Amino acid sequence: MYADLLHALPNVFAFANFAAVIIGVIAGIVVGAMPGLSATMAISVLVPFTFGLEPLVALGLMAGIYNGAMYGGAIPAVLLRIPGTPAAVATTFDGYPMAQKGKGGLALQVAVVSSSLGGIASAFALMLLAPPLSKVTLLFGPSEVFWVAVFGLASIIFLLGGNPVKGLISACFGVFVSVVGSDPIYGNDRFTFGQLEMLDGIHIVILLVGLYALPPVIDLLETPLKTGVNSSNLGTEPIWKALPRMKYWKTWIRGSLIGIWIGILPGAGGSMAAFMSYNEARRSSKTPDTWGEGEPEGVAAAEVANNADTASALIPALTLGIPGTAVAAVMLGGLLVHGLQPGPMLFRENPDVVFGFMWQFLFGAILLVLLGGSLATNSFARLLNLPRPLLGSVIIVLMLIGVYSIHGRMFDVYLMLGFGAIGWVMDKLKFPLPPVVLGLILGGFAEENLRLALRIGRGDPAVLFQNTTSLILVALTIAVIVGPSLKKRFLDGRKTAE
Amino acid sequence: MLNIFKKAAIAGALTLAAGAAMAQGYPEKPIEVIVGYSAGGGTDVMARTTMPFIEKYLGDGASIVVKNMPGASGQIGITEVAGSDPDGYTLGTFNLPGMMARTLDREAGYDRDSFTYLANVVNDPNVIVSAKGSGIESMDDLVAAAKEAPFAVTVGMSSLGGDDHFLLIKLQKMTETDFTIVPFKGSAPARTAVMGGHVAVGIFNVSEIAKFQGELNVLGVAQPERSDFAPEVPTFAEQGFDLVNGSMRGVVAPAGLPEDVAAKLRDAFEKAAQDPEFLEAMAATANPVSVVTGDEFRALTDGLYDLAEETWNTTPWN
Amino acid sequence: MTDRPKNRLLRPETLTALGIVAVAAGFLIPTSELPPISALLPAAMLIGLIALSVALLVMDQRKAAKGDAAAPMTQSPKRVLGAFGLILGYALATDFIGFYVSTAVTIPLVAFAFGYRNPLGLLIATVIVVGTIWAIFDFGMSQDFPTGRLWKD
Repeated sequence: MYADLLHALPNVFAFANFAAVIIGVIAGIVVGAMPGLSATMAISVLVPFTFGLEPLVALGLMAGIYNGAMYGGAIPAVLLRIPGTPAAVATTFDGYPMAQKGKGGLALQVAVVSSSLGGIASAFALMLLAPPLSKVTLLFGPSEVFWVAVFGLASIIFLLGGNPVKGLISACFGVFVSVVGSDPIYGNDRFTFGQLEMLDGIHIVILLVGLYALPPVIDLLETPLKTGVNSSNLGTEPIWKALPRMKYWKTWIRGSLIGIWIGILPGAGGSMAAFMSYNEARRSSKTPDTWGEGEPEGVAAAEVANNADTASALIPALTLGIPGTAVAAVMLGGLLVHGLQPGPMLFRENPDVVFGFMWQFLFGAILLVLLGGSLATNSFARLLNLPRPLLGSVIIVLMLIGVYSIHGRMFDVYLMLGFGAIGWVMDKLKFPLPPVVLGLILGGFAEENLRLALRIGRGDPAVLFQNTTSLILVALTIAVIVGPSLKKRFLDGRKTAE
Repeated sequence: MLNIFKKAAIAGALTLAAGAAMAQGYPEKPIEVIVGYSAGGGTDVMARTTMPFIEKYLGDGASIVVKNMPGASGQIGITEVAGSDPDGYTLGTFNLPGMMARTLDREAGYDRDSFTYLANVVNDPNVIVSAKGSGIESMDDLVAAAKEAPFAVTVGMSSLGGDDHFLLIKLQKMTETDFTIVPFKGSAPARTAVMGGHVAVGIFNVSEIAKFQGELNVLGVAQPERSDFAPEVPTFAEQGFDLVNGSMRGVVAPAGLPEDVAAKLRDAFEKAAQDPEFLEAMAATANPVSVVTGDEFRALTDGLYDLAEETWNTTPWN
Repeated sequence: MTDRPKNRLLRPETLTALGIVAVAAGFLIPTSELPPISALLPAAMLIGLIALSVALLVMDQRKAAKGDAAAPMTQSPKRVLGAFGLILGYALATDFIGFYVSTAVTIPLVAFAFGYRNPLGLLIATVIVVGTIWAIFDFGMSQDFPTGRLWKD
């Protein structure tokens, strides 16, 4: 297998194949950076177009876009508090406060370095460990996946914000939105009101653009100012000067492992990886109180994890045909177009293309620092200097394009506007938005797997606790929920003892 | 098979002669083929692989554009086709038995008579598989296990009310057994669950497990002859079970398509079916080809509709 | 502060809480028609929303009783309504008249209405945005945008 890996390398450097990666990374950063446009949308628009391309050109474009977009999403997340892609939600937590303190430049540099490192770690996992990691995926049946979802939902506790009642309302809203569509088992309609467009449920990008992008646009238009967003003072310094000061090794390693792990599990995807990495980094931080107010390590934690699940999400996609993220699902279509059918045979039948694709992922991640670090970041920061009304109107157009292009229908645009109105009210009344996102991603997912597990157990809940993997996940969930209060008690106890 | 082509060719020639005047100009502008699934899905790949050959055999620089209208298991796309003008410039992909089953389990904006049936292109027979080391290595093992403990054998499949489900219903009736159905969202997660030992057996289409034959026991194929995708796997008939079932993908036009235009299109599909280049491209994208056109396609649809209706009436799935 | 009793129910949080209760209760009607297992999770969430909103309502009313003034949702409701209206209008125009025409009109219109009045800047921005979108999506990717329902037959 490793010989195949080396054999595939020269072809990756063929001009068209390498150029595809470069163009892909740049296009990905641009797509990610445009509020409203997402990697899922970009790749689904690209797939029909790739029928006429050589496999490695098409795959190189996709690998580049995926890597680039996962970082690009951080740019508006930091500068405008609009996550450019679903996975960049956690980047807003500390990135936006940093920008407000005039450290937006640093936040973007931390983001690009972390993204790149996460992408590199993930690419290595894909290249070297794909077969053994796909065995790990096999361990996760419906009951295990149910516990993974519960584990993710438990982390909502840390995202509730200042007012837990409002946080829980957000979470319930998110879970409720996730059940819209056809029932996961019987296929009967739930809350679709006869609309065929609602049968497949509400796409995460529609909700995200509505909730996160529309309220800031209204803000841009609401404030009667003719100036741009204050980004002239990003506080940028050359990246080689900033680099030695980034000492987030623990966070980077932890985030990479979390991202890779979430990636190989089917279904959950980039945003969950970023949330979990952010939570874990904060929990182990010595100064957890500074998080959420502009802690660069928070940006590092979120960005390393959302890139670390890119290539690893392709491990179950390539070996088992089950994509780990929404983007990987679209990419799977791109592979099939070129006659690359997922399965254990894939690596033997098309080694040059498959391993070449893996190399392209690695180079895409490396190129990210070069292209994202200097060129793209600075020019995008300039764009945000546009007068507010103009910036607002351009974002409105991008939102419409981004949402329309997912399925090619206006229905989704109207749905997005509805969520936008809800999002505006939530924003003004300080309801936290992250629980909505996590609830939407994990709510229906948990339900589906619980019901599958119960069917397998013929209604007996004992099936949920029957094996070690499930029990470990249950223990982890309990640790996440009661851990912080136990730790606090322990510390308080020690203090009084002294 | 040859007989089918001959008959169709004669029928085609007759209608061509009758309406040659109208068909002469067709196509004058690009033909749109509506695919009810996202780009890169099985049906989309079928359409995009087939259409260049249809362009070739329509001749005269014919041009076909594939348009994706994904959603609701293809229903959004096919409803759009049913409501389009039957002028030959809007065609659509058609999946069986799904498109017919959906007219039973929910309100649909079309029925069997909404279409002019052009050609079914793909016939992907069902297979039953089990995990290696599961102890179920033949149909006899499976039936014995199900008889020993009714409902104890779990069966993973891609959804209720699809071809996988109908195969199981046929099997249950035939052998007087009962299984526990576990309907996943799509065949890939179901296949993974079989491989991981989370369900005992799974029902799929042969193209879906062709690349996984080393990891799975394939118990049988539900078509009269063995499949090119898994030549070593015996048919169910060889093992004494009269089971023929599968999923089909074809192309239809709105009802009322002028007969000469329909004939010209059917003719193009029949010619493509003989093209080795086409067969190779379809095999590479996991599409077992079996082209039937016109009335035979309609008869196929009727048969599957009746099966779905009977199943729905006796054991509704939602 | 003389009209405080009348205002107590018009506090934004109170109104929102009442709104959530009403909408969630409304959704319970279709929920009751689902098979029990399908209805379980949505019903749990709707009841959760109602209970939490009642809690929010009580909390907000206590604040009101203490005399805390509620912060207004916006300083300039007209601008906010105008912005929402323009965005909705843009979506409808795209749907019925067509994407490119609507976009070419909307960009300068929104920017002009909200305070950016430099004609040259408006022209350049519109041309660049519409041109880039056309070049990438239409020309490059043959991605179709709505052409307008009004013009279809």
